Amino acid sequence: MVEPAIALFGGAFEKASRVLEELLRESGARYALLLDRKGFVLVHREALWAPRPPALDSLATLVAGNAAATQALAKMLGEPRFNELLHQGSTHGMYAEEVGDLALLVVIFDNSAPVGRIKLFGKRAVQSLEVITRDSVVNPGTLEIDSEYRDGASALLDELFGN
Amino acid sequence: MGPVPSWMSYLVTNMSTINFAAREINFKIVYYGPGMSGKTTNLRWVFQQVPQNRKGELVSLATEDERTLFFDFLPVDLGEVKGFKTRFHLYTVPGQVFYNASRKLILRGVDGLVFVADSAPNRLRANAESMRNLRENLAEYGIRAEDIPIVLQANKRDTLDALPLEMIQAVIDPEQRLPIFEAVATNGAGVFETLKAVSRQVLSRVAAAS
Repeated sequence: MVEPAIALFGGAFEKASRVLEELLRESGARYALLLDRKGFVLVHREALWAPRPPALDSLATLVAGNAAATQALAKMLGEPRFNELLHQGSTHGMYAEEVGDLALLVVIFDNSAPVGRIKLFGKRAVQSLEVITRDSVVNPGTLEIDSEYRDGASALLDELFGN
Repeated sequence: MGPVPSWMSYLVTNMSTINFAAREINFKIVYYGPGMSGKTTNLRWVFQQVPQNRKGELVSLATEDERTLFFDFLPVDLGEVKGFKTRFHLYTVPGQVFYNASRKLILRGVDGLVFVADSAPNRLRANAESMRNLRENLAEYGIRAEDIPIVLQANKRDTLDALPLEMIQAVIDPEQRLPIFEAVATNGAGVFETLKAVSRQVLSRVAAAS
Protein backbone atom coordinates (compact mmCIF):
# COMPACT_ATOMS: atom_id res chain seq x y z
CA MET A 1 0.00 0.00 0.00
CA VAL A 2 1.23 3.47 -0.65
CA GLU A 3 0.20 4.79 2.73
CA PRO A 4 2.65 4.64 5.61
CA ALA A 5 2.24 2.04 8.34
CA ILE A 6 2.81 1.84 12.07
CA ALA A 7 5.43 -0.55 13.35
CA LEU A 8 5.27 -0.92 17.10
CA PHE A 9 8.01 -2.88 18.75
CA GLY A 10 10.48 -2.67 21.57
CA GLY A 11 10.11 0.47 23.68
CA ALA A 12 7.20 1.90 21.68
CA PHE A 13 5.22 -1.30 22.13
CA GLU A 14 5.92 -1.34 25.87
CA LYS A 15 4.88 2.30 26.18
CA ALA A 16 1.64 1.74 24.28
CA SER A 17 0.91 -1.31 26.46
CA ARG A 18 1.39 0.74 29.60
CA VAL A 19 -0.96 3.46 28.32
CA LEU A 20 -3.66 0.85 27.68
CA GLU A 21 -3.13 -0.76 31.09
CA GLU A 22 -3.45 2.61 32.80
CA LEU A 23 -6.58 3.36 30.80
CA LEU A 24 -8.15 0.08 31.93
CA ARG A 25 -7.20 0.72 35.56
CA GLU A 26 -8.49 4.31 35.64
CA SER A 27 -11.64 3.88 33.58
CA GLY A 28 -12.79 0.47 34.80
CA ALA A 29 -13.13 -0.78 31.21
CA ARG A 30 -12.74 -4.44 30.24
CA TYR A 31 -10.58 -4.34 27.13
CA ALA A 32 -8.53 -1.71 25.32
CA LEU A 33 -7.07 -2.11 21.84
CA LEU A 34 -4.89 -0.07 19.56
CA LEU A 35 -5.62 -0.87 15.91
CA ASP A 36 -4.33 0.35 12.63
CA ARG A 37 -6.89 1.70 10.16
CA LYS A 38 -6.68 -1.46 8.11
CA GLY A 39 -8.21 -3.40 11.00
CA PHE A 40 -5.13 -5.13 12.39
CA VAL A 41 -4.52 -5.21 16.14
CA LEU A 42 -1.28 -3.48 17.16
CA VAL A 43 -1.63 -3.84 20.95
CA HIS A 44 -4.38 -5.09 23.22
CA ARG A 45 -4.82 -5.33 26.96
CA GLU A 46 -7.50 -6.91 29.12
CA ALA A 47 -8.53 -6.17 32.69
CA LEU A 48 -7.57 -9.05 34.95
CA TRP A 49 -11.16 -9.51 36.12
CA ALA A 50 -12.66 -9.44 32.63
CA PRO A 51 -14.01 -12.59 30.96
CA ARG A 52 -12.39 -13.85 27.78
CA PRO A 53 -12.79 -11.22 25.05
CA PRO A 54 -14.60 -11.85 21.76
CA ALA A 55 -12.50 -12.73 18.66
CA LEU A 56 -10.15 -9.76 18.41
CA ASP A 57 -9.53 -10.16 14.66
CA SER A 58 -13.22 -9.85 13.91
CA LEU A 59 -13.69 -7.06 16.40
CA ALA A 60 -10.82 -5.03 14.94
CA THR A 61 -12.05 -5.53 11.40
CA LEU A 62 -15.56 -4.42 12.23
CA VAL A 63 -14.41 -1.37 14.20
CA ALA A 64 -12.05 -0.30 11.40
CA GLY A 65 -14.83 -0.75 8.82
CA ASN A 66 -17.24 1.16 11.01
CA ALA A 67 -14.75 3.99 11.55
CA ALA A 68 -13.98 4.18 7.83
CA ALA A 69 -17.69 4.37 7.00
CA THR A 70 -18.21 7.05 9.65
CA GLN A 71 -15.39 9.17 8.26
CA ALA A 72 -16.78 8.80 4.75
CA LEU A 73 -20.13 10.04 6.08
CA ALA A 74 -18.46 12.98 7.78
CA LYS A 75 -16.81 14.01 4.54
CA MET A 76 -20.13 13.76 2.69
CA LEU A 77 -21.61 16.14 5.24
CA GLY A 78 -18.73 18.56 4.82
CA GLU A 79 -17.04 17.73 8.12
CA PRO A 80 -13.33 16.94 8.11
CA ARG A 81 -14.02 14.15 10.64
CA PHE A 82 -16.29 12.83 13.36
CA ASN A 83 -14.01 12.37 16.31
CA GLU A 84 -15.45 9.49 18.28
CA LEU A 85 -17.72 6.51 18.02
CA LEU A 86 -19.81 5.46 20.97
CA HIS A 87 -22.14 2.47 21.06
CA GLN A 88 -24.07 1.55 24.17
CA GLY A 89 -26.29 -1.42 24.87
CA SER A 90 -28.03 -2.42 28.08
CA THR A 91 -24.91 -4.15 29.44
CA HIS A 92 -21.96 -3.44 27.16
CA GLY A 93 -20.57 -0.44 25.39
CA MET A 94 -17.80 0.40 22.97
CA TYR A 95 -15.92 3.62 22.53
CA ALA A 96 -13.58 4.28 19.61
CA GLU A 97 -11.44 7.31 18.96
CA GLU A 98 -8.99 8.22 16.23
CA VAL A 99 -5.32 8.13 17.11
CA GLY A 100 -3.80 10.35 14.45
CA ASP A 101 -4.39 9.41 10.84
CA LEU A 102 -3.29 5.81 11.04
CA ALA A 103 -4.63 4.24 14.21
CA LEU A 104 -7.72 3.79 16.38
CA LEU A 105 -8.21 3.30 20.10
CA VAL A 106 -11.05 0.96 21.06
CA VAL A 107 -12.36 0.59 24.60
CA ILE A 108 -14.93 -2.06 25.53
CA PHE A 109 -16.71 -1.57 28.82
CA ASP A 110 -19.72 -2.80 30.79
CA ASN A 111 -22.30 -0.87 32.77
CA SER A 112 -20.12 -0.81 35.88
CA ALA A 113 -17.96 1.85 34.19
CA PRO A 114 -19.55 5.27 33.66
CA VAL A 115 -19.36 6.45 30.05
CA GLY A 116 -18.05 9.84 31.12
CA ARG A 117 -15.05 8.21 32.74
CA ILE A 118 -14.41 6.04 29.69
CA LYS A 119 -14.40 9.09 27.44
CA LEU A 120 -12.28 11.20 29.78
CA PHE A 121 -9.55 8.62 30.21
CA GLY A 122 -9.96 7.48 26.62
CA LYS A 123 -9.17 10.94 25.30
CA ARG A 124 -6.23 11.20 27.68
CA ALA A 125 -4.87 7.88 26.43
CA VAL A 126 -5.27 9.03 22.82
CA GLN A 127 -2.94 11.96 23.48
CA SER A 128 -0.19 9.66 24.69
CA LEU A 129 -0.81 7.10 21.96
CA GLU A 130 -0.65 9.79 19.29
CA VAL A 131 2.89 10.62 20.29
CA ILE A 132 3.92 6.97 20.45
CA THR A 133 2.39 6.05 17.09
CA ARG A 134 3.67 9.21 15.40
CA ASP A 135 7.18 8.13 16.32
CA SER A 136 6.49 4.63 15.00
CA VAL A 137 5.29 5.56 11.54
CA VAL A 138 7.35 4.08 8.78
CA ASN A 139 7.23 4.89 5.14
CA PRO A 140 6.33 2.51 2.35
CA GLY A 141 8.78 0.18 0.81
CA THR A 142 11.31 0.00 3.59
CA LEU A 143 10.97 -3.58 4.73
CA GLU A 144 12.25 -6.53 2.90
CA ILE A 145 11.36 -10.04 3.86
CA ASP A 146 13.91 -12.55 2.70
CA SER A 147 13.22 -15.31 0.22
CA GLU A 148 13.66 -17.95 2.93
CA TYR A 149 10.58 -16.57 4.64
CA ARG A 150 8.72 -16.55 1.34
CA ASP A 151 9.62 -20.16 0.62
CA GLY A 152 8.64 -21.27 4.12
CA ALA A 153 5.28 -19.55 3.83
CA SER A 154 4.80 -20.97 0.38
CA ALA A 155 5.31 -24.52 1.68
CA LEU A 156 2.70 -23.89 4.36
CA LEU A 157 0.25 -22.81 1.66
CA ASP A 158 0.60 -26.25 0.08
CA GLU A 159 0.16 -27.92 3.44
CA LEU A 160 -3.02 -25.97 4.23
CA PHE A 161 -4.64 -25.85 0.80
CA GLY A 162 -3.18 -28.98 -0.83
CA ASN A 163 -0.83 -29.35 -3.77
CA MET B 1 11.13 -7.57 23.20
CA GLY B 2 14.25 -8.59 21.40
CA PRO B 3 15.71 -6.81 18.42
CA VAL B 4 14.21 -7.14 14.96
CA PRO B 5 15.48 -10.42 13.50
CA SER B 6 18.42 -10.07 11.20
CA TRP B 7 16.69 -11.90 8.36
CA MET B 8 14.13 -9.16 8.23
CA SER B 9 15.75 -5.91 7.36
CA TYR B 10 14.51 -3.09 9.49
CA LEU B 11 11.02 -1.69 9.23
CA VAL B 12 7.76 -2.43 7.63
CA THR B 13 6.64 -3.29 4.15
CA ASN B 14 4.68 -0.89 2.07
CA MET B 15 1.67 -3.14 2.48
CA SER B 16 1.40 -5.90 5.03
CA THR B 17 1.14 -5.23 8.73
CA ILE B 18 3.99 -6.71 10.69
CA ASN B 19 3.52 -6.79 14.43
CA PHE B 20 6.98 -7.42 15.85
CA ALA B 21 5.68 -7.45 19.40
CA ALA B 22 3.16 -10.20 18.76
CA ARG B 23 5.49 -11.72 16.15
CA GLU B 24 2.82 -11.69 13.48
CA ILE B 25 2.75 -10.85 9.80
CA ASN B 26 -0.67 -10.13 8.37
CA PHE B 27 -1.72 -9.85 4.75
CA LYS B 28 -5.00 -8.49 3.41
CA ILE B 29 -6.51 -10.18 0.38
CA VAL B 30 -9.69 -8.80 -1.16
CA TYR B 31 -12.12 -10.68 -3.43
CA TYR B 32 -13.53 -8.25 -5.99
CA GLY B 33 -15.96 -8.69 -8.88
CA PRO B 34 -19.51 -8.06 -10.04
CA GLY B 35 -22.58 -8.86 -7.94
CA MET B 36 -23.45 -12.55 -7.59
CA SER B 37 -20.20 -13.73 -9.20
CA GLY B 38 -19.37 -15.94 -6.21
CA LYS B 39 -17.01 -13.95 -3.99
CA THR B 40 -18.77 -14.91 -0.77
CA THR B 41 -19.07 -18.51 -1.99
CA ASN B 42 -15.27 -18.63 -2.34
CA LEU B 43 -14.87 -17.50 1.27
CA ARG B 44 -17.48 -19.94 2.53
CA TRP B 45 -15.66 -22.81 0.85
CA VAL B 46 -12.38 -21.80 2.45
CA PHE B 47 -14.15 -21.51 5.80
CA GLN B 48 -15.68 -24.99 5.43
CA GLN B 49 -12.46 -26.69 4.43
CA VAL B 50 -9.81 -25.10 6.63
CA PRO B 51 -9.33 -26.89 9.99
CA GLN B 52 -10.85 -25.21 13.02
CA ASN B 53 -7.50 -24.31 14.59
CA ARG B 54 -6.34 -22.51 11.43
CA LYS B 55 -9.22 -20.09 10.98
CA GLY B 56 -11.18 -17.43 12.83
CA GLU B 57 -14.84 -16.54 12.59
CA LEU B 58 -16.47 -15.89 9.23
CA VAL B 59 -18.02 -12.46 9.60
CA SER B 60 -20.67 -11.56 7.01
CA LEU B 61 -22.31 -8.18 6.81
CA ALA B 62 -25.10 -9.10 4.44
CA THR B 63 -28.68 -8.17 3.66
CA GLU B 64 -31.54 -10.53 4.52
CA ASP B 65 -31.39 -12.06 1.04
CA GLU B 66 -27.70 -12.84 1.61
CA ARG B 67 -26.28 -10.14 -0.63
CA THR B 68 -23.07 -8.67 0.79
CA LEU B 69 -23.82 -5.26 2.24
CA PHE B 70 -20.42 -4.15 3.48
CA PHE B 71 -17.98 -7.05 3.51
CA ASP B 72 -17.30 -10.65 4.50
CA PHE B 73 -14.19 -11.36 6.53
CA LEU B 74 -12.28 -14.55 7.28
CA PRO B 75 -8.88 -14.74 8.99
CA VAL B 76 -6.79 -17.78 8.01
CA ASP B 77 -3.65 -18.80 9.92
CA LEU B 78 -0.97 -20.11 7.66
CA GLY B 79 1.24 -21.15 10.54
CA GLU B 80 4.61 -20.03 11.84
CA VAL B 81 7.45 -19.12 9.52
CA LYS B 82 10.81 -18.22 10.99
CA GLY B 83 9.22 -17.46 14.32
CA PHE B 84 6.50 -15.24 12.88
CA LYS B 85 2.83 -16.21 12.80
CA THR B 86 1.63 -15.58 9.27
CA ARG B 87 -1.99 -14.76 8.72
CA PHE B 88 -4.13 -13.94 5.72
CA HIS B 89 -7.16 -11.74 6.21
CA LEU B 90 -9.65 -12.51 3.44
CA TYR B 91 -12.29 -9.94 2.56
CA THR B 92 -15.03 -9.69 -0.04
CA VAL B 93 -16.54 -6.46 -1.27
CA PRO B 94 -20.21 -5.95 -2.09
CA GLY B 95 -20.49 -6.49 -5.85
CA GLN B 96 -23.61 -4.51 -6.55
CA VAL B 97 -22.88 -1.30 -8.43
CA PHE B 98 -24.56 1.06 -5.97
CA TYR B 99 -22.41 -0.04 -3.04
CA ASN B 100 -19.29 1.60 -4.41
CA ALA B 101 -18.70 3.83 -1.38
CA SER B 102 -18.31 0.84 0.93
CA ARG B 103 -16.44 -1.15 -1.73
CA LYS B 104 -13.81 1.55 -1.85
CA LEU B 105 -13.30 1.47 1.93
CA ILE B 106 -12.49 -2.25 1.91
CA LEU B 107 -9.59 -1.69 -0.48
CA ARG B 108 -7.66 0.28 2.10
CA GLY B 109 -4.43 -1.50 2.90
CA VAL B 110 -5.00 -4.29 0.38
CA ASP B 111 -2.02 -6.56 -0.36
CA GLY B 112 -3.54 -8.71 -3.11
CA LEU B 113 -6.74 -9.11 -5.10
CA VAL B 114 -8.79 -11.96 -6.51
CA PHE B 115 -11.12 -10.77 -9.25
CA VAL B 116 -14.06 -13.21 -9.44
CA ALA B 117 -15.68 -13.02 -12.88
CA ASP B 118 -19.03 -14.57 -13.75
CA SER B 119 -18.91 -16.93 -16.75
CA ALA B 120 -22.54 -16.36 -17.78
CA PRO B 121 -22.94 -14.54 -21.13
CA ASN B 122 -25.32 -11.96 -19.70
CA ARG B 123 -22.69 -10.97 -17.09
CA LEU B 124 -19.90 -10.17 -19.52
CA ARG B 125 -20.55 -6.45 -19.38
CA ALA B 126 -20.86 -6.57 -15.57
CA ASN B 127 -17.40 -8.20 -15.42
CA ALA B 128 -15.92 -5.45 -17.57
CA GLU B 129 -17.57 -2.68 -15.55
CA SER B 130 -16.43 -4.19 -12.26
CA MET B 131 -12.81 -4.37 -13.49
CA ARG B 132 -12.99 -0.75 -14.58
CA ASN B 133 -14.46 0.15 -11.20
CA LEU B 134 -11.60 -1.70 -9.48
CA ARG B 135 -9.02 0.30 -11.41
CA GLU B 136 -10.78 3.54 -10.54
CA ASN B 137 -11.04 2.70 -6.85
CA LEU B 138 -7.41 1.62 -6.65
CA ALA B 139 -6.42 4.87 -8.34
CA GLU B 140 -8.12 6.77 -5.54
CA TYR B 141 -5.60 5.20 -3.16
CA GLY B 142 -2.81 6.07 -5.58
CA ILE B 143 -2.32 2.47 -6.73
CA ARG B 144 -2.08 1.30 -10.32
CA ALA B 145 -3.64 -2.09 -10.98
CA GLU B 146 -0.32 -3.11 -12.54
CA ASP B 147 1.45 -2.54 -9.22
CA ILE B 148 -0.53 -4.93 -7.04
CA PRO B 149 -0.91 -8.72 -7.24
CA ILE B 150 -4.20 -9.58 -8.97
CA VAL B 151 -5.38 -13.07 -9.85
CA LEU B 152 -8.44 -13.67 -12.01
CA GLN B 153 -10.99 -16.38 -11.40
CA ALA B 154 -13.61 -17.32 -14.00
CA ASN B 155 -16.30 -18.75 -11.78
CA LYS B 156 -19.43 -20.79 -12.56
CA ARG B 157 -17.67 -22.85 -15.23
CA ASP B 158 -20.36 -25.50 -14.77
CA THR B 159 -23.12 -23.40 -16.33
CA LEU B 160 -24.23 -24.78 -19.70
CA ASP B 161 -23.70 -21.55 -21.63
CA ALA B 162 -20.46 -20.55 -19.86
CA LEU B 163 -18.44 -18.24 -22.09
CA PRO B 164 -15.04 -19.34 -23.38
CA LEU B 165 -12.24 -18.22 -21.07
CA GLU B 166 -10.69 -16.09 -23.81
CA MET B 167 -13.87 -14.07 -24.15
CA ILE B 168 -13.91 -13.23 -20.43
CA GLN B 169 -10.22 -12.39 -20.51
CA ALA B 170 -10.80 -10.14 -23.50
CA VAL B 171 -12.92 -7.78 -21.42
CA ILE B 172 -11.16 -7.88 -18.05
CA ASP B 173 -7.55 -8.47 -19.04
CA PRO B 174 -7.15 -7.95 -22.79
CA GLU B 175 -3.35 -8.09 -22.59
CA GLN B 176 -3.57 -11.44 -20.77
CA ARG B 177 -1.15 -10.17 -18.17
CA LEU B 178 -2.86 -11.77 -15.17
CA PRO B 179 -3.11 -15.45 -14.22
CA ILE B 180 -6.62 -16.82 -14.61
CA PHE B 181 -8.20 -19.86 -12.93
CA GLU B 182 -11.40 -21.67 -13.78
CA ALA B 183 -13.67 -22.35 -10.83
CA VAL B 184 -16.94 -23.73 -9.61
CA ALA B 185 -16.90 -22.17 -6.17
CA THR B 186 -20.08 -23.95 -5.04
CA ASN B 187 -18.20 -27.27 -5.06
CA GLY B 188 -14.79 -25.80 -4.31
CA ALA B 189 -13.22 -26.40 -7.73
CA GLY B 190 -10.51 -23.81 -8.31
CA VAL B 191 -11.05 -22.02 -4.99
CA PHE B 192 -7.81 -23.05 -3.27
CA GLU B 193 -5.81 -22.80 -6.50
CA THR B 194 -6.86 -19.18 -6.86
CA LEU B 195 -6.15 -18.35 -3.23
CA LYS B 196 -2.75 -20.03 -3.33
CA ALA B 197 -1.82 -18.15 -6.48
CA VAL B 198 -2.62 -14.72 -5.07
CA SER B 199 -1.00 -15.57 -1.72
CA ARG B 200 2.21 -16.62 -3.48
CA GLN B 201 2.26 -13.41 -5.46
CA VAL B 202 1.80 -11.38 -2.30
CA LEU B 203 4.63 -13.26 -0.57
CA SER B 204 6.89 -12.87 -3.59
CA ARG B 205 6.23 -9.19 -3.66
CA VAL B 206 7.39 -8.65 -0.10
CA ALA B 207 10.31 -11.02 -0.33
CA ALA B 208 13.63 -9.41 -0.95
CA ALA B 209 15.11 -10.05 -4.33
CA SER B 210 17.95 -12.20 -3.19
